[in-house]
Amino acid sequence: MKDWTVKSLQEWDKKICESGRKFGLDWYPIDYEIINYHEMIGAMAYLGLPTHYRHWSFGKLFEQTHTRYNLGMEGLPYEMIINSNPSIAYLMAENPLSTHLLTMSHCLGHSDFFKHNRMFINTDADNSLVRFKSAAKRINKYMEDPSIGAEKVERILDAAHAIKYQIPRTPERKRRTHKEMLDFYKEVIRDDKTGKYKDFDIERIPLRPDYNLLAFITEHSRNLEEWEKDVISIVEYESHYFVPQAHTKIMNEGWAVFFHEKIMHDLNLPPKLHIPFLKLHNQVVRPHIGRVNPYHLGYKLFKKIEEEQGLEACFVAREVHDDVSFIRKHLDQKMCQELNLFSYSFKKTRKVNTIDEISDKEGWASVRNNLLKTVGLNSVPVVCVDNLDRKSHTLYLQHEHDGRDLDIPYANKVLEYVADLWGDEVKMYSTLEDEPWEF
Amino acid sequence: MSVFREHKSIADRSAADRQRHKHLIDRAIKDSIHDVIAEESIIGQSGNKKIKIPVRGIKEYQFIYGNNEKNKRVASAGDHDIKPGDQIGKKKPQQRPRTGDDEGEEIYEVEVNLEELAEYLFADLNLPDLEKKKFKFVKEKTLKRKGFRKKGIQPRLSKRETLKRRIRRKNAAIKAGSYDPEGDERFPFHKDDLKYKNLKARVKESSSAAVFFMMDVSGSMGKNKKYLARALFFLLYQFLRHRYENVEVIFISHTVSAKEVSEQDFFTRGESGGTKMSSAVELGLEIIEKRYHPSSWNIYTFYCGDGENWPDDDPKALEMLERLNELAQLVCYTEVVTAGDHRRREFLFGSDPSTYGLWDRLEQLAGDSLKRSRISTKDEIWPLFKRLFGGDTK
Repeated sequence: MKDWTVKSLQEWDKKICESGRKFGLDWYPIDYEIINYHEMIGAMAYLGLPTHYRHWSFGKLFEQTHTRYNLGMEGLPYEMIINSNPSIAYLMAENPLSTHLLTMSHCLGHSDFFKHNRMFINTDADNSLVRFKSAAKRINKYMEDPSIGAEKVERILDAAHAIKYQIPRTPERKRRTHKEMLDFYKEVIRDDKTGKYKDFDIERIPLRPDYNLLAFITEHSRNLEEWEKDVISIVEYESHYFVPQAHTKIMNEGWAVFFHEKIMHDLNLPPKLHIPFLKLHNQVVRPHIGRVNPYHLGYKLFKKIEEEQGLEACFVAREVHDDVSFIRKHLDQKMCQELNLFSYSFKKTRKVNTIDEISDKEGWASVRNNLLKTVGLNSVPVVCVDNLDRKSHTLYLQHEHDGRDLDIPYANKVLEYVADLWGDEVKMYSTLEDEPWEF
Repeated sequence: MSVFREHKSIADRSAADRQRHKHLIDRAIKDSIHDVIAEESIIGQSGNKKIKIPVRGIKEYQFIYGNNEKNKRVASAGDHDIKPGDQIGKKKPQQRPRTGDDEGEEIYEVEVNLEELAEYLFADLNLPDLEKKKFKFVKEKTLKRKGFRKKGIQPRLSKRETLKRRIRRKNAAIKAGSYDPEGDERFPFHKDDLKYKNLKARVKESSSAAVFFMMDVSGSMGKNKKYLARALFFLLYQFLRHRYENVEVIFISHTVSAKEVSEQDFFTRGESGGTKMSSAVELGLEIIEKRYHPSSWNIYTFYCGDGENWPDDDPKALEMLERLNELAQLVCYTEVVTAGDHRRREFLFGSDPSTYGLWDRLEQLAGDSLKRSRISTKDEIWPLFKRLFGGDTK
């Protein structure tokens, strides 16, 4: 039944690593955990992290994932790797050797990407696992603390999760506290010779819009206890850790597919391994009708760069781009047409999704631009802290409207959560159907 | 060089979170049921009719963009030929309009029938801990088949079991070589093969209840008040049906005089005229005497009115209620009062709402088996119900 042993995997690994190095990949060492299906679904539910704090949403994720595989909505799980040094990857014991070989080749690509893409420079791969472990321990401690308890911790987590993506989207230096900002601006104003800062309101909090909602709340709320702040900071840390992956999903998967294909061909596999590999590979890179398959799109774009500019240009691209800049630079009309991409929207009057533009001469640029609006975190609305009223302690949030209106019921729910964390009144401004909207 | 670790399955790490998730779903269902019990669509339904309960989901809310024309998304069409204006996906099924729901809110719908609904509702109440004396059961003996025995009367002979034993014995004999299946010899039944169906007497708690719903249908009982009364009655009926095997419902409507009516008429027909509550109770007593003797029937009476009984009828009504209280398991007097009523009454009777009507006078009678209550919105129905059966004496 099982056509592999750990020993055989080790031997193949040697060949795979050799081949990867030959192509110029440079990855963190990889630890493979060989686990069964149930554990694999479990690992997926906790985003691949070997230790993770408890929350019911992960139980929900488990059930959803399990159901999707059970109903055959997806093939068997085969790859999962996390950004750490060493990288932890999972091999599902039920899979045959050919799948393992593809997974292992695929993982080299991911780990190389984690190590070199510029979006990941602040993810602290050396220490991330230790920090997740410590976070899980602390959450557990709070849950078991009789003066706190699981329910209260859950309440904070529920609320913090609602705004976990409301953090800065580019790699940034350490967040500056209000006091540091104040010192910074005082200096700027003192040295200002242009007169630009004549009317600058030094009393305002925040001094410039703050995109890190969780951090702002922990810093300025007058109602949070220390443990609550810690719980919020745990969620914030995790978001910072995952944001780069959200920004580079298409590139990262494309890069891994691009290289597993090269390595697998390089291994000169016998037909009984090569044919199942081809089958799986084609599954992975097939277009998903009605969606965009990131594996497919990323793979196609790297192939195109290689054809036009050579392999070296691919390595440059994987270092400097995120999905948005990658697509903007490399997705042209020809490729749009080949992928048969189209944009669509929900027509309220007819209550049906309708195609707006297709990738023809007139439409393709707009299709691409619409795609750019939905990749990375661009599908998540940007909300920032605009002002904190010192007297009433009311928190004023601003949604940066980019033409797309918010889903109002959802926004209302989220604001309830924000108010729950903040403990004082919360207001938010946005635009709805071209009119100003106050929540 | 990579490292490979094969590890034996340890504890199921997601078990606790899965359980918590499930618990949250259950809770959401229960919460939704409380919202749903007073919904028009389920009241008056009977039997196995499926009811869709919208469960406000275990959702994780985040800021998202609305699903509208400004929010364009991109997808691949594969090999399909497409052109602008093509419609994709199926038309969304029209959601049942529900009050209070903003458009776009996604709701899980759980389908249950009335039985299950009752389970969910009443499981919440911890039934066994409720006041037991409100439920008395007539013990009844029934016979039920259970297993087989060696001795019995001919009609209860189980041919199948008997045959099975013979076959078993025959096979054993063939194995042992004492019987040759190829030969001419018959393999006869033996006395030990005979098996009879066994009947066992079971003492069953069977029970019957007569439920009297009485309502004031005079002019002051507006549509809204009747609706509230109906919601309450429906819930009570479901509950008692859940509890007793045999439930008979008697509807009595009254103005100055009372009559027994059909369910349909009870809820839909209104009459003008004054209010004499005693007439309804009196008719109830008559019916009990004729048809539902308290020694074999559990009697429940529920009265709904708006508290505007004619003052000169009050003493008689009280006397009747007292008599009823001696016969019935539970006598419940409910006033449906809306905000407007309070203002009107203040004008008529002064600022203290308890200085008028039966309400005040019932206080001395109120106890374990006679309860008075007031409701003014449908949200109060469930709490009232819990109070009625939860042991609170007010």
